[in-house]
Amino acid sequence: MSAFAAILRKDLRLELRSGESTIAMVALSILILVVVVFALSQAGARGTEAAAGALWIALLFSGMVGATRALGAERENGCIAGLLIAPVDRATLYLAKLAAALVFMAVAEIAAVILMVLFFNLSFDSGLLRMVPILALGLLGFAALAIMLAAIAGHTRLGDLTLPMLAVPIYVPALIAGVKASAVLLGGAPFGAAWTWIRILIAFDVIYTVAGYLLFEHVMAEQA
Amino acid sequence: MTQPALAAHGVAMTFGVVPVLRNVEFELWPGSLVAISGVNGSGKSTLVKIFAGLLRPTSGSVAVFGTSQARRRVGLVSHQSFLYPRLTAAENLEFYATLYGLGDPRERAMRWLARIGLEGFADYRVRTISRGNEQRLALARALIGDPDLVIMDEPFTALDADGVSLAKDLIKASLARGAAVLITAHGTDALAGLDFELYDLRAGRLERRRVERIAG
Amino acid sequence: MNRNFIAMLGIVTALLMVAALYMAFLYVPNEATQGIVQRIFYFHVPCAWVAFAGFGLVAIAGALYLWLGDQIWDDLGQAAAETGMVFCTLVLITGSIWAKPIWGVWWTWDSRLTTTLLLWLMYGGYLMLRAAADETPQSARVAAVLGIIAALDVPVVIVSVRLWRTIHPAVLVTRQGGHGLEDPRMVATLLVAMAAFTALFAWLLILRLATLRTRARLNRLTLEIALAEAGD
Repeated sequence: MSAFAAILRKDLRLELRSGESTIAMVALSILILVVVVFALSQAGARGTEAAAGALWIALLFSGMVGATRALGAERENGCIAGLLIAPVDRATLYLAKLAAALVFMAVAEIAAVILMVLFFNLSFDSGLLRMVPILALGLLGFAALAIMLAAIAGHTRLGDLTLPMLAVPIYVPALIAGVKASAVLLGGAPFGAAWTWIRILIAFDVIYTVAGYLLFEHVMAEQA
Repeated sequence: MTQPALAAHGVAMTFGVVPVLRNVEFELWPGSLVAISGVNGSGKSTLVKIFAGLLRPTSGSVAVFGTSQARRRVGLVSHQSFLYPRLTAAENLEFYATLYGLGDPRERAMRWLARIGLEGFADYRVRTISRGNEQRLALARALIGDPDLVIMDEPFTALDADGVSLAKDLIKASLARGAAVLITAHGTDALAGLDFELYDLRAGRLERRRVERIAG
Repeated sequence: MNRNFIAMLGIVTALLMVAALYMAFLYVPNEATQGIVQRIFYFHVPCAWVAFAGFGLVAIAGALYLWLGDQIWDDLGQAAAETGMVFCTLVLITGSIWAKPIWGVWWTWDSRLTTTLLLWLMYGGYLMLRAAADETPQSARVAAVLGIIAALDVPVVIVSVRLWRTIHPAVLVTRQGGHGLEDPRMVATLLVAMAAFTALFAWLLILRLATLRTRARLNRLTLEIALAEAGD
């Protein structure tokens, strides 16, 4: 088994045993959706735009929890040092962490989509299926960025506050594209109508997956 | 085999303007055992992290078998066990065996569990076993890939008398297969019966004290 | 850093700035539709230019630091971010002052304003990270990586924000590029202001960089004294 598979399997196994990350992310997603419904007026909480917005806010903030925990799980007993001195290159470690975080985020996202349909009185139809690639792209971009930034945040004394402050401004273009594309598709338009936005998501994903792959060694080089 | 397992030249480390290590010159040869003693805060743990490749020194160089890319050949026992509390003892060892690219990780994990006397704990999660047993497991984790350079930061803490003698047996076995072993310790009582060189680390300076053998 | 060079640059900056002030307030004619308010544009646009240039400089300094590992690139990144942040703030403030009489609001989600705001937030995150991290080579590398990551975002931000604003029904009619440079005196004023702000940016940047270099030297000397006292 490769190091990538070993780390991924280890992370999935740990999560299956504790469920901590996924439960925290699902719970946060629910809370965000509820808050948005309450925060918007009754009329405002019906449109597909509001639904798409709420969904992506949930993705953004639950994703931050996921990214923080993906690396935080390694801090118990200094395990991160055990990984860093092992003959595993940082890029492999990055991809394994990215894959694990994506699995947890996907679980939270499925829960969020179901709740969005219920809370915003939408229907379970093919528009939702067409949204799957959009959400997958949005999650990949966010995870690729946030894993990197969570590692960066680990070097500061501010702790958990650092990640949102760094991640939100950088993620905005993907957020804009994701919300717009989701609203278009939820409104019943064909997939092609969202193509402009999908291209931005793809560009974002490519940039940050490659950047993370290449630069991760610099943020994980050593551990004081 | 004329290459030192570990060679450090002019290693200095500062945190901000606080010097922790000064101009450390050190060589460790295959098959030999070196103990570094020093009080708390003398810089032992920092030195160990630098030797193990976890920290980059402010200046100076560290080479393991003549290169800076020899992670596969280094085994580190640290203050922390590096073991996942929610994985079982066997799963932890298997995981690390896989990372080190060892064949048949499961079988190897079970063999090492037997060797450290914990075969009965294979399926116990690490969080449920005692500190002493966790330290035994940490020794196995560090040694599972038969590293050519073994670095142990106070390996005897948390071990009972049986544990200490197990650790010594493991050190002897490592030396016997030609590995170089570096140990840090407050005192050297636990090393009774072993041949070793002793260094003192005082205020960031590493000084060789004397070659000694404590009668065992 | 050569002291004479810094002094010279300071003098050049001062002269250019006086010229820019004179031209912006007295020399250039009023723009036809916007009137006197439009004159802030001669400060606003140069500020935006150096704010973006500073951002690019942070990324370049970061890449050079990762590549060469020399402390000076780390210091340059910090100096460029701090100086750039000042001008980025000025862009937002002057933009607001201009928007109120022209658009009737202090803030609007115009594509350029939004892009600048995001840039400002990224600058803020970068500086916050630097303030909260220890002064170690590892922290410097982490900051360098962040500088690069943030700069990579700028083209994506520009494209997405522009699409966002144009596809979205426009609440206000923005005068895209319609700043009315029909008079050659306006072009001249803008060019002088650009030169003045570029010089000001360079001067402040170099002053800050010199301070950081001095501090690094001071740290080294303090360390040497500590070593000498403790040893032997």
